[in-house]
Amino acid sequence: MGGRSRAAAQLLAGKGFNEVYNLKGGIKAWEGLTAFGPAEMGMVLLRGDETSQEIIVLAYGMEDGLAGFYKSLSERMDDSEVAGLLNKLAKIEENHKQRLFELYSTLDPTVTDREAFEGNIVSDMMEGGFTTEEFLEQNRDSMKTVPDVLSIAMMLETQALDLYMRYSEKAKDEKSKTVLYDIAEEEKAHLASLGRLMEEKA
Amino acid sequence: MMRWKQFLTPVKNMDTEEAKAYIDKNKEGTFTLLDVRQPKEYEKARIPGAKLLPLPELTDRLGELDPERPVIAY
Repeated sequence: MGGRSRAAAQLLAGKGFNEVYNLKGGIKAWEGLTAFGPAEMGMVLLRGDETSQEIIVLAYGMEDGLAGFYKSLSERMDDSEVAGLLNKLAKIEENHKQRLFELYSTLDPTVTDREAFEGNIVSDMMEGGFTTEEFLEQNRDSMKTVPDVLSIAMMLETQALDLYMRYSEKAKDEKSKTVLYDIAEEEKAHLASLGRLMEEKA
Repeated sequence: MMRWKQFLTPVKNMDTEEAKAYIDKNKEGTFTLLDVRQPKEYEKARIPGAKLLPLPELTDRLGELDPERPVIAY
C-alpha cells in the first residue's frame, strides 16, 4: 500500500538519503493487481526554519487532525479490536494536544485560553489544509479493509514521528526539546502497536 | 473544524514499469529495494531482493541502510 512506503520515503529523504523513490501502488501494482494508494496529501508543510512556537502550532493541528481521524474511523470499524485501538489512539492524541498547548503557554505567557489558541493561532496556521472529513472522503477507496486503515494510520504516525524527531533535535530550549522528544517516543509506540495489529490482520 | 495542512514533499514516485527497468539496468548492491511492511506481509509476497525493514522499526534501524545508495521503498 502506498501510504506506508511514501511516509518511509519522506522520512529517509529527511535523514539525508540522497535518492529515494516511493514505488507507486506497492506490491499490488507489482503483481499486476489494482492498487489504490492514499491521495497525494498529508498533513504538514515544513519549511525547515520554523520557530518553536510555529512547530508547536503545526504539531497541535496535526494532533487534532489525527485525533479526529481516529475517532471517525473507530466509529466506522466493524472489527472491535481495531475500533478499540483507534479509540485509544484518539484519546492519546487529545492528551498530546493538551501538552502542546501547555508548552505553548510557557513560551508565550500571553496565551492562556485554549479556545482562543485553537480559534485564532492554530486555525490561521492550518488554513488551506483539509478537514478530516475531506481527508476521509478523498481516501475512501484506499480505506476499504482493516489492513488498508491500519496502513493509513501507520503512514500518519510516521509523518508525526518524523515531525517530532526532526524538531526535538532542532528545538533551542530544553523544555520544548523534552516535550517534543517525549511525544515522538509515544508516536513511535503507536506505530509499533499498529504494526502488531497489522501483523495479525494482514 | 480544524484543518490538515497539505504536505509538499520532495519524494519522487516510481511506477512499476520504471522500477522494473531500473532494477534491470542497475547492478544488485548498488541500490536498496526496501520493504517497509510487516513481516507477515513480506512472507506472503515480496519483490525479489527486497530488504525487510518494517516501518515501526525504521527510525531505530536506519544504520542498516546506506544513505549513498538509491532506495526504492514499497
